[in-house]
Amino acid sequence: MIHLMIFLPLLGSLLLFAVPPRWREEVAGFFAALTLGIGLLIWRGGGSELFSVGWVPALGITYSVALDGVSLALALVTAFMSLVAVLYAARRVSNPGTMLSLVLAMETGLIGIFAARDLVLFYVFFEDALLPALLMLAIYGKPNRMRALVKFAAYTLFGSLLMLLSIIGVKYYGGSPTFALADLVRNPVTGTAQTWLYLGFLAAMAVKLPLWPMHAWLPDFHEQNHDSGVPDVMGTLYKVGGYGIFRFGVTLFPDASEALRPVLMGLAAFTALYAAWIAFRQTDWKRLLAYAGLSHMGFVGLGVFSLNETATIGAMYLLAFQNVYTGALFLSVGMLQERIGSLHTRVGGVMTQAGALGGLSMALWFASIAVPGLAGFIGEFSVLLGAYQVQPWITAVATLSAIAAATYALTAFQTTFWQGRPLGSVRVWDVRGTEWLVLGLPLAVAIFFGVYSAPALNLIQPAVRGVLATLGGQ
Amino acid sequence: MLQVPEVALAPMLPILIVLAGALASTVLGFSLPRRALTIINLVMLVLSGVSMVTLWNSGARAFGGSLQADNAALLLGLTILIGSAMTLLVSLDTAYRARVSFPEFDAMLMYSVTGTLIIAFSGDLITMLIGLEIMSLSSYVLATLQDSRRAEESGLKYFLLGAVGSAILIYGIALVYGGAGSLNYAAIAAQTATLTPGNVGILVGGALLLLAGFGFKVALAPFHQWTPDVYTGAPTSVSLFLSTVVKVAAFAGMLRVFSGALAAAPGWASTLQVLIAVTLVVGNAAALFQPNFKRMLAYSAVAHTGFLALGLLGTPEVGGAALGYYLLIYTLMTAAALAVVAALQRSEEGMTINDLRGLYYRHPAYAVALAVCLASLAGLPPFAGFFGKYLVFQAAFQNGYVWLSVLAALASVAALVYYLRPAMLMFMPDRTPAREYPHGERTPTTLTVALGVVGVTVLGILPNLWYGWVANPGVWGALAGR
Repeated sequence: MIHLMIFLPLLGSLLLFAVPPRWREEVAGFFAALTLGIGLLIWRGGGSELFSVGWVPALGITYSVALDGVSLALALVTAFMSLVAVLYAARRVSNPGTMLSLVLAMETGLIGIFAARDLVLFYVFFEDALLPALLMLAIYGKPNRMRALVKFAAYTLFGSLLMLLSIIGVKYYGGSPTFALADLVRNPVTGTAQTWLYLGFLAAMAVKLPLWPMHAWLPDFHEQNHDSGVPDVMGTLYKVGGYGIFRFGVTLFPDASEALRPVLMGLAAFTALYAAWIAFRQTDWKRLLAYAGLSHMGFVGLGVFSLNETATIGAMYLLAFQNVYTGALFLSVGMLQERIGSLHTRVGGVMTQAGALGGLSMALWFASIAVPGLAGFIGEFSVLLGAYQVQPWITAVATLSAIAAATYALTAFQTTFWQGRPLGSVRVWDVRGTEWLVLGLPLAVAIFFGVYSAPALNLIQPAVRGVLATLGGQ
Repeated sequence: MLQVPEVALAPMLPILIVLAGALASTVLGFSLPRRALTIINLVMLVLSGVSMVTLWNSGARAFGGSLQADNAALLLGLTILIGSAMTLLVSLDTAYRARVSFPEFDAMLMYSVTGTLIIAFSGDLITMLIGLEIMSLSSYVLATLQDSRRAEESGLKYFLLGAVGSAILIYGIALVYGGAGSLNYAAIAAQTATLTPGNVGILVGGALLLLAGFGFKVALAPFHQWTPDVYTGAPTSVSLFLSTVVKVAAFAGMLRVFSGALAAAPGWASTLQVLIAVTLVVGNAAALFQPNFKRMLAYSAVAHTGFLALGLLGTPEVGGAALGYYLLIYTLMTAAALAVVAALQRSEEGMTINDLRGLYYRHPAYAVALAVCLASLAGLPPFAGFFGKYLVFQAAFQNGYVWLSVLAALASVAALVYYLRPAMLMFMPDRTPAREYPHGERTPTTLTVALGVVGVTVLGILPNLWYGWVANPGVWGALAGR
């Protein structure tokens, strides 16, 4: 079952080249929906147990996968948003075969990242998700994509190769027989070696999170991507840094994470505030959203680095649902671009002609700036609540970014959707057809989990407790 | 009464079969067309491979251990044969366009392969030197065969620098003989364990000279200067041969000498790590700024020398296994990438990176294949280049060369940038007229490319298929013979 969920999208991606072009949308949608369905079945069955076989026995590399707790929640979100992305791409992108194929290929990499319980396997999926992202940018990007592409790849690889060395080091210095997480935990590395290895591991995760000063690739990546926002959805799903630190970083390097806690929390809080500040000055919707996402990721970092139970639960909650509403916002920006031909935030008056689009976008923005009753609130509030118990001052700094978020979001929304419509501008059509689904489904999810968080918390809470128990509890 | 000396023919069989191909090309060249010769040679390569497989685990040796067909030799020999076969397949299509379509080309190629196999099978320094010289001399000719100024220049450069390299190497052999009192790998290995202080100096000097000599052959900086010019100036099928087969053979020699005979000798490893560091920096930095794709691949070959040589710093069991795996992968991906260049280039100077723009929309299969090769060269999973890099990193890291591993990781980032640019340009839509040779896609070249791409993908997803063979520690523990 679990293997089906991981590799079904990839199978679909390859099959797309074999089916006749006019059936491609349907086939892609079928595979995306089937994957989500399997994910829901796994959820109903209470998650899937650890499955482990040797992959390269001579090197101690295993194929160990499990989907439970946090990883199941994130995998479900990934499958859900991939389906939404496929739905939208099928309608919006002209000749979408390649795009759909890349979306599905990336879905496999992403679900694999969350399912992997072996460090080398994790690395392999980690890089596998990179290739489709790069190709999407290369094939569908805007004129300056080459710079964005090289920047994105260089940052990512810089981190992940250092991580690879750390991976080799963790096994070697700990003396573990395999790279499987369970074995590595049983043979821990101690002392200064642990700190160095953690830093190598962090290098990759900080790029992916992204944490200041490793964030510079992010705005360019989103700005240069295709207008539809489909690649951006997949891009937001790619922010696995918080998860990686939670799943591998904290478990494998407990002493180092406690030693570095104040520094890292400070960096995360600074990232949150700094990104919100820059977002305020953006006039391009994609860049604005990119910086907004960066600010949210600062919160995720704050939560995970604090090693506090409440904060970590909040961080995982935020990580999961931030993907939903930020992804949907990217798609709504794509719709806006389709109608007015620009991504500028000072268009004005769109609301008068496209009320539903404006309303849906606003509701999603509310989720994003953590209005109570929507999913973002639970995440951000828990992070702040928990982090405050550990580092009150740093948390206070981060709290300021929540105010800043409201400012930049509402300002940009106001100048685009309200104000006067410029004279002589084209008539804008409203949301229609599948677009209702594309924006409505994520919003429904954001509202549902904002009001009734128990199903998600039931998944996240035990997993967080299990991981933090290795630290002796906080 | 004349007595026939007792010579074991079995371990020589793989070499003799290849030599027979070379002789056949020399003699039959007068009556048969070149294509027929190439096909004969391909069959010879396959036969040689079959004979190697039958020799597996036999531990056969000849001339009192001067030539040994142990498992290490067979694994490296198979890699060499695969690279040679890929060269021949590509030359079937491109030799005519490159103006090297005459029997001498095939003959020289097969003589060179003979030499490379002798290196891999060598059991003492003299055998190794003979193989190296056979390989080098034929390679000089191969690089010059094309009737063009650039080829002549590159061939001469190759010859002059290669001759200097050989001279240094021979001097190194002499000193090692002076220090250890023997030329046989096993005897040297036994001697280095119990050295008198007076001999250490001579032995270290010899080892360092050997290192410099090999440095020329595998293109370790600062002895790499000839590589970009020769790889660019020679016809692309020859560049393919030089950058894969010849390099594999030179590494086979290094494995035999440094991980085998001189494994316990002091001095060379600390020098080698400096050379590797320089190679990684110089090769990767230079490749970053190449506008010509073929030249970029030449520098990438230099950079890969640095990665490959990391394997020599590991213990023989770990490092040898890493190199055994990586060399095959390196051969597959480099040969496939250069095969695509050979098929699509307009002239033997290769193409510029900008010419690749939009290739995906004109030659989708070649573009995807080239992208896979570049991703593998860059070390991205799930392609086998990742495991190659991983293995050599691990080998060096576990033997205590942590800083060098970190440097290699950083160098890989630079590498990613220059592999990525062409790979991504191919997928960008483009409306300008095509700049490739229009009739490049032909069956044998496509077969080569497919072999490389399929190999790199399958061995990346299931590395155990090949690593399972090379990982046996017994293979590499006996590099110096018993």
